[in-house]
Order: sequence, then C-alpha cells, then structure tokens
Amino acid sequence: MNVVDLALVSATLTASAPVVFAALGGLLCQTAGVFNMALEGQLLWGAFSGVLFSHLTGSAWLGVVGAVVTTAVYALALSVPAVAFRADPVVVAVGVNLLALGLTAFLMRVLLGAGGVYTSPDLPGLPTFAKLGLDVPVLGPQSPLVPLAPLLVAVTAWWLARTRSGLRLRGVGGHPEAALSLGLGADRYRHVAVLGAGALCGLGGAQLALGNVTLFSEGMSAGRGWVAVVAVMLGGAWPWPVLAACLLFGAAEAFGFRLQGLGLPQQAADAAPYVITLLALVVAAATRGRRRLLEAS
Amino acid sequence: MNLTTRTAPLLAPVAALALTTLVMLATGVDPFLAYPALVRGAVGEGNLEYTVAAYVPVLGMALAFAIPLRTGELNLGGDGQLALGGVAAAAAALLVPLPPVLAVVFPLVVAALAGGLLAWVAAPLRARLGIPVIVTTLLLSPPGVALASYLARFPLAERGTGLAQTPVLPDASHLPALGESGYLTPALPVVALLTALWLYADAGTALGYEIRATGANREFARYGGVGVARLGAVTLATGGAVAGLVGGLVVLGPPYRFVDGALVAPGYTFTAIAAVLLATGRPVLVPFTSALLTVLQAGGQGMEREAGVPSQLTQIVQGLIIVIVAVLALARRRTAKKRPGGVTP
Amino acid sequence: MPAVELVGITKRFGDVVANDGIDLSIETGEIHAVVGENGAGKSTLMSVMYGVHQPDAGHVLRDGVRLRMRSPADAIAAGLGMVHQRLRLFPGLTVAENVVIGAEPTRRGVLDTAAASREVERLGELYGLRADPAARVGTLPVGVRQRVEILRALYRRARVLILDEPTAVLTPGEAARLFEVLRGVTGEGVSVVLVTHKLGEVLAASNRVTVLRGGRVTGRFATAETTAQELVVAMIGRSLAPRPLAPPGERAAGPYLLEVENVRVRGGEGPARVGGVSFGVRRGEIVGIAGVAGSGQRELLDVVTGLRTPDEGRVLLAGAPVRRGRDPRVAYVPEDRPGRATAPTMSLADNLLMGGQRERRFSRAAVRERARALVERFGVRAASLDEPISVLSGGNAQKAVLARELSGDRPLVVVEEPTQGVDVGAQEQIHALLAQARDEGRAVLLQSSELSELRALADRILVMFEGAIVAELSAEEAGEDRLGAAMTGAAG
Repeated sequence: MNVVDLALVSATLTASAPVVFAALGGLLCQTAGVFNMALEGQLLWGAFSGVLFSHLTGSAWLGVVGAVVTTAVYALALSVPAVAFRADPVVVAVGVNLLALGLTAFLMRVLLGAGGVYTSPDLPGLPTFAKLGLDVPVLGPQSPLVPLAPLLVAVTAWWLARTRSGLRLRGVGGHPEAALSLGLGADRYRHVAVLGAGALCGLGGAQLALGNVTLFSEGMSAGRGWVAVVAVMLGGAWPWPVLAACLLFGAAEAFGFRLQGLGLPQQAADAAPYVITLLALVVAAATRGRRRLLEAS
Repeated sequence: MNLTTRTAPLLAPVAALALTTLVMLATGVDPFLAYPALVRGAVGEGNLEYTVAAYVPVLGMALAFAIPLRTGELNLGGDGQLALGGVAAAAAALLVPLPPVLAVVFPLVVAALAGGLLAWVAAPLRARLGIPVIVTTLLLSPPGVALASYLARFPLAERGTGLAQTPVLPDASHLPALGESGYLTPALPVVALLTALWLYADAGTALGYEIRATGANREFARYGGVGVARLGAVTLATGGAVAGLVGGLVVLGPPYRFVDGALVAPGYTFTAIAAVLLATGRPVLVPFTSALLTVLQAGGQGMEREAGVPSQLTQIVQGLIIVIVAVLALARRRTAKKRPGGVTP
Repeated sequence: MPAVELVGITKRFGDVVANDGIDLSIETGEIHAVVGENGAGKSTLMSVMYGVHQPDAGHVLRDGVRLRMRSPADAIAAGLGMVHQRLRLFPGLTVAENVVIGAEPTRRGVLDTAAASREVERLGELYGLRADPAARVGTLPVGVRQRVEILRALYRRARVLILDEPTAVLTPGEAARLFEVLRGVTGEGVSVVLVTHKLGEVLAASNRVTVLRGGRVTGRFATAETTAQELVVAMIGRSLAPRPLAPPGERAAGPYLLEVENVRVRGGEGPARVGGVSFGVRRGEIVGIAGVAGSGQRELLDVVTGLRTPDEGRVLLAGAPVRRGRDPRVAYVPEDRPGRATAPTMSLADNLLMGGQRERRFSRAAVRERARALVERFGVRAASLDEPISVLSGGNAQKAVLARELSGDRPLVVVEEPTQGVDVGAQEQIHALLAQARDEGRAVLLQSSELSELRALADRILVMFEGAIVAELSAEEAGEDRLGAAMTGAAG
C-alpha cells in the first residue's frame, strides 16, 4: 500500500465525519418515528455556531460546545411543531432548512461582519492528532472529532440494543399507540431524539467548519445533510449499515476532489456527491425491493 | 374550515415578521430603519417595476411547485429545473438562428422540455422503486445547476471576457419590452395565463379532480380507476416544464443572456414554495401569496442597499412562514376529526 | 368486594353521549362479558376503565379504593391490563422485549435479556401461554401474538384483564384455545372482562353478562340463567324474529356473468396468497365469501375488481376479461373506508363523484347536482355536500359509498364487510340495498366475517381457507357449525 492510498483513506474519513454525525441524528429520529429532513439546516447552523463561538471565546473546543448546545436548541424548531403540534415533519423541515440558510447568512453579516465567507487567522480551529503529538498516518491529520463519529455509532448501536431507554425508543418508533397503552408517551422520546439529532448535527457542523477547514461560508453544508438523510434510508436505520453508507459518500467526495486536481471541471465535482447518492439509492431500491425502502422512510 | 385556517395566510406572515423583528432587536438592527427601507425598496419610485418583473419568476416557480403538490408530491428541485431551462433557452437561441417570433418560441419550448425532463425523472423512480419525489428532485437539482454552470462557462461561454456567461442572444430572440426600462416583458402575461389555466384545470376539469383525489388519498384514486403513476409523472413533468419555461423567459429578457448563478441566486424557488404553502391548499390564493412574498423579497434587496440590513432577512421570514403554516394547517385537520359523528372508536 | 367497580360513568364526545351513567362491577376470578352492538359504548367504557379517556362523570374503584386515572400508566399501576382488538405489539421486537418493555429487568443499568426470557417462560408455564421468547413478533401468527399481549399484561402483574373483541382475528380453533387460557387465568384469581358482540362466546365462556345499548346498561345476567334470546332483546331492544331478510329468490339460472378461472396470486414470500381459485356468479344471485381474516379473500377480490393482476388464471365478465386498473362494469365497496373507499378530507360531493368524473362534461354544478340526487335517492344524511366526508357517521359514509357504486348500470357488485362500523339502522338499509341489487338482476359477490350476514343474504357461500375455496354451501346448508368447520380447513 503506498502513501497515496493512505491519503485517500484519510480524506475519506475527513469527508464522511460530518455526514456520519448528521446521519446518526437522522437514525435516532427514524428509530423514534420522526422523519427528520432538517439535518441539512441543522448541520449548517452547527457549522455557523461553531465558528461563532470559537471566534467569541477564542477556543475551538468551546466552539464545539456552543455548536452542540445551540444546534440542539435550534432543533426545537422541528421538534415543537412536528412532535408537539403534529405538523407535517417534511414541510416543517423545508422551513427549518430555509430558516437556517437565512439566519446563518444574516448573522454572519451582522455579528461577524463578513459576507459570503468568514475566515480569519485569529479564528481557532480544532487541533489535529499530529499537533497533539500523535503523528501517525491516516489519523494524524484528523481532528479528535473524526474518530468520535464511528465511536458514537458503536455506542448508539449498543445503547439501542442493550438499554432500557434504547429499547423503549425502538418501541415508540415502531408503534406509538402500543407504547402509549403501556404508559410510555411517545412524545417525550421523540423530543429527545430530535434534540439529540440537533446536538449531533452541532458536532457534525463544528467538525465541518473547525476541523475539515477553519472558516464559515454561506450554505457550506452543501447537501451533506441530504446525503445523511439518504444514508439513513440506505442503511435501514441500522447503525452499522448507515455508517457504511456514509463512508461510501465520503470516499466518493474524496475521490471527486482528487479527480478535480487532475483537471476534472469543478462543476462535475460539485454534482458528483448528489449523482452518486442518487445512484446508490436507485441500486439499493432496485435490489432490495421497494417495500423495505419505504419502510425506512 | 375554521377560523385558524382561514386566517392562516395572514396570520403566518404577521407572526413570522414578529419573530424576525425579535431577531433584529437581538442583533442590534433597528426595525424602524429596516422596515420602511424594505417597503420603499419594493414599491418605491423606480423599484415597483423591478418588483413586478420579479413577480414573474416567483409566480412561475409557485406553479412549478404547486402543480405536483396537488398530487401530493413535493418538487424541491426547482433551482435545477430553472437553471437548466435557462441555459437550454440560451443554447437554442444561440445555436439555431430563426426568424422573429419563432426565435422566441423555439427557445422557450426547449427550455420547458429541459426543465420538464429533469423533473420527470423523479416520477418513475417513485412509481417503480418507491424513492420519495422530494429526495429525487432535491438530489437532481444541484447537478442541474452544475450542468448549466458548466455549459455557460465552457461550451457556450462568451469568448474573451472570462465571465461566466453566454454572449448576448440574437435580437430576434429578445422579448419585446412592455415598459420603458425593458424589465416588463410578455413574460408576465404568459405566466399569468398559465396560472389562470391551472386554476381552471384544477377546479373545473375531470383531470383536475383526479389530481386532487390522488393528492387527498392515493389509494382512493387508484381504486377509482385513476392512473396515479401516470398523473404523478404528468404533474411533475408539467411543474418542471413551467420551471424551465420561467428560466427561458428570464434569459430572453434583459440582459438577454444566461449569466451563471443569476437565476438561482435570488432564491425564487423557495420564495415560491413558501408562497404555495402559505396558500394552505387553496390554489386561488397562490397569485396573492406569491405577490406578498415577492414584495418582501424585492424589498429585502432595497433594504440592504438603503439601510445596510442584510437581505437574507427575507429568507428568515420565509422559513418561519413555512414552519408556522405547517402548524396552523394542522389545526384544520384536528377540528375536522373532533366533529360529532366522526368519532371512531 | 368487587375487583373493579365502575360507578356512574358518563362520557361525551361533542354532542354524542357514548356512555350514560354506566355502573359495572367485576368480581374477583370471574369472566365478565360486556356485550352490545357496534356503537353501544363498549369500547368507550373500556377506554375509561383503562385510563385512555377521562370520564365526564363517575369514577373507577379498584378493591374499593377510588382510582385517580390520568393515563393508562395509572391503570397499569392499579393492576389492570388490556388486550386490544388491534394488538399493541411491536413487530420489530422479540417476544421477550415486547413482554417486558416499560418494566424491563436490568442488571447494572443494562437490559437483562436472560431474565426477561426466563420470566416469559415461567409465566407461559404457569398460565399455559407458550411463546418463544426470542422470536420476532412480526413473524408470529396472530393467535400467538395475542398470547404475547396477555403475557405482557400478566408480567405487569395485572389482576384484571380486559380483552376487546379478542376473537375477531382468530380461527375458531384459536378462539377455543384462548378461552381455555382465560379459564386457567381466572383459576389463579385474575378477573377477565370480555368485550364482544358474539353471543356464542358469551354463553360458552362467561360467568356474568352486562349488556349495553345506546350508551346505557340494558341488562345484567348470570350466564347460567339466561338465553341468547334474552340477550338479543337487551342488545337491540326487540326480539330478533328470524327475519326473512332477503327471501332467497328463485334459484338463479343461466350462464355465469362473472367467471373466475384458476386464479393464483403469489405473496411476497411464503406460500401463494390465492392458489388456483375458480368459481362463477350468475345474474340475480348473491354469492357469499366466508373465511378467517387473511385467508386470501382480499387478494382474490382485488383480482376480481381488476385492481390487481393475477400471477396466473383469468377473470371474465360477461365473457370479456376484466379491465386492469378498474373495470367500469364493476361496482366495488371496499372494506377499508378511510383508506380506499373514500378520501376522508375531500367533500361528500367529490367522494360521490369518483368513477363518474368523465361520464359527462365536468362542471362544479354538475358534480353537486349528481351528489344531491344520490344523497336523496340513497337516504344519506349529511348537513352539507361540501363538508369533508369524514364528518359523517360510519353508516352514512357507507351509504354514500354504496350510492356511488350502485348508481350506475354496473352488472357486477363486489362488496367487502358492508356493515362494519355501521349502526343497526343503517345495517338494515344496506342489506336491503344489496338484496335490491340482486333483484335487479345484478351479480353480487359479498365477503363478510359476520356469518349471520352471509346466511341472511347469500344464495351460496364459498368458504376460503389458506388461499383456496374449501367448501361451497347453499343457504340452507350453511349452519354456523359447518361454516366454522370449513373455515378452519376441516373440509365439510
């Protein structure tokens, strides 16, 4: 194995980490019976708030904390209408995504005084393992949040299978009336799932804006939230298959980036993740049959 | 129909504006400076004509979203359909020189075909493989935009300028000006006519009935012998075609060329989506809600110019409107269920 | 002292009084049947007892102590357990997970799956309710699923079990097995409340009976001292004369209008849903289809109406194949009213139109005119043609569906469960409409799980079991016993 291949592996991990966080949030909501299509907007908010708090506090880690907390709060914009008021989650999500786009662009101009892109040499980004003294291939150039992503997938898999609250979450999503007749109100679990997804999107957004790069640009989530939605569908809301789907997209993005370096027009690289996502969905749906795919959605 | 739903088209914008005002206050923006600037920006001297011109793409994109929505499908790929239609019209006008009138009609037909085709793809994927239309249209939109951008930058680019735009289209393909500035073109009556046609078809034809029935309960329509898959394809393709046509109409108007990003940047697609959702299932309200949100959007740009308040404020308002309408629309369903006699064990 | 006592329960929904001052007392260790027609208020009363609904007046006593019931959680805590008609199980979870969910055994915070399995096995042995703890509930037959739900209630230390129409989904054999289990449970001091409208079960299994009609108690009996006749009078307010509902006309003769030839429908997995079925229906006769739910009736009728293409075989109507999609020569009243037969959010007028939208020039006035005529002719009671059909009562909505389907000149009439969720008055009108369709010379295919309905209306009854027609009985031959035997596959 030569160095180029290892670099590609490393780039895949970097590219997939934000998607993994968002998809894990989508998975939680799916398990609880809420179709969360607002991951894109929450990821964007996570990226913005990460940069904002990093800028305000001078610490990238406090930026991460700020992103996690405020994105969870931002998720109330989905959970209150969709869970408490029983509004159509898809329509609410359309609004929540648009709101995130407007809010981040507006606040960037008002609070950070920048239009389009905000970056500054004074903006602290997350350290890499190399900087922390662990200069090994693959992991070296990553921020600590990157390995946290698959770790959280493992924790989630265990939690869903082996704990009381995990079992109840699965039950609540599978048959809310049944849960109610046992005295388990579905709403509480759903609120927690949606807010948890918000917190995870906060992590994903912070990794995107403070780990992958150190800047915020308008609409920088660039469809990763949608890729996460599709990853949940592809993985049937099971943790490990969802992780696998996310890694596939990460690899596609890393590969596209490399091809761009070889002279492929930028527009092709822009379109590639969407086209590959759609193709994967088509192939999965065709081989798996439409029923199971619909169950997941 | 109860009071909440009837007033939702008014209540939602008011509530959204109130919340937006809170955002302004929290971030130190003076609403007394911003709102007057917004109003002047939309309907003030010299701006009104521009606002009316902006009404064309907003109303057109509202149709592109609303037509498939009547069968229950969400077309969120308007940006891609719009951009592809625009670049297709430019390509047709540049590559196929035609006599007057035809030189306008042909590019518009090509634009509609391009947009319609991109949207139509979602229909068989939904019918055969069960992939939700909302996901397909969303995923196909950025590739559509990217393709249009590529064409404008490379094969169709204006030589020697380095700008991402096509050359100016031949004179025969220019839409004639209806006003002095040239911003008002026959595009307005064309889109108005399409809207009228749609409203008539929806309420007064068997096809419109079948479309509504499919949206209300797909299985009911299927049971009644309606070809639901075919209707889904027809409405999606029609919606996409209207989006493509809008792209063509904009490109054939001033500055008479396809400029990369110019169609997508103003955010017509989501302004239109907010307008349609604000109409809460009553098609006759769509022209009015579209007008309201056009004023807001056009005014936002004036507000940025005049008062230095970022125009993205209008996106905040639109996003809030959608969320609030989603909550209010539900009040209707809930009260309908509560009526006596409708109680089921 | 009674195990549970309901005192003066009144519950209203809008203007409808579902329960009107009902008293009910359940003794320890008895099987107490609560019977009544559809809409008599049984389900509401059980929901009140189980804390789903809060009564507008009255209260619930448990061992003489007044309960504060805000939700089912309070009922469960007080030792009540409910087995719903539509089972409240999680298909994706295992039997053990389904039993313990909400009160899970844990060890150091982690689910103790082994303990859960042991508990399921222990309870199963104690009460004779065997089920594999590791099996996924979604893969189990419905009779076993019901056992899981009973196990769940017992695991939660229920001393009073409420069963809502437990036999609706069971074969007669499974039902007999259920009653054995219930007797075993009462032997351990558990009380059982059995909600049903089947008098045979009441007489066979219960100790005492309370009869509801129109939201009030109309009779209390010790089972040993009552008769079916007495119960019927209490249930419907008059004696049920063996009414000649539809005098079976002269035996219809002539060629078959509908010919079903060797139709086969494969399911996704497993055996065929319909395996090589052939039969015919003549003009002027009603042919009934009986069978336990899920025996292939649904799939067969989808093929007959043209909504589904069979994998093999063909369906001919007057000699010509049935058109795919929906054949305009077929009137079809589906069982699933909100899901298929109507669009609940559309207006009554729009619902009455489906199928006829292309018959003449479309206009709003024409749509309303057509609706007005149908509503009048079929006696649909509705405040307005423009209100959503979902505000109508079950009976009126069903009459609207029948009006739409029977109005045209359609020679074949296919009807599924025509009186489900319909009040008694509307039931008679619906039966009369079907008899009239027959007398007009149409061919009627009637699928019903109400054997009495089939016996009253059908000239012939076809019995389906596991996707095949296992018996054909004439109206005279079709006693409950012979039908029941055929429905379980014991061909008779």
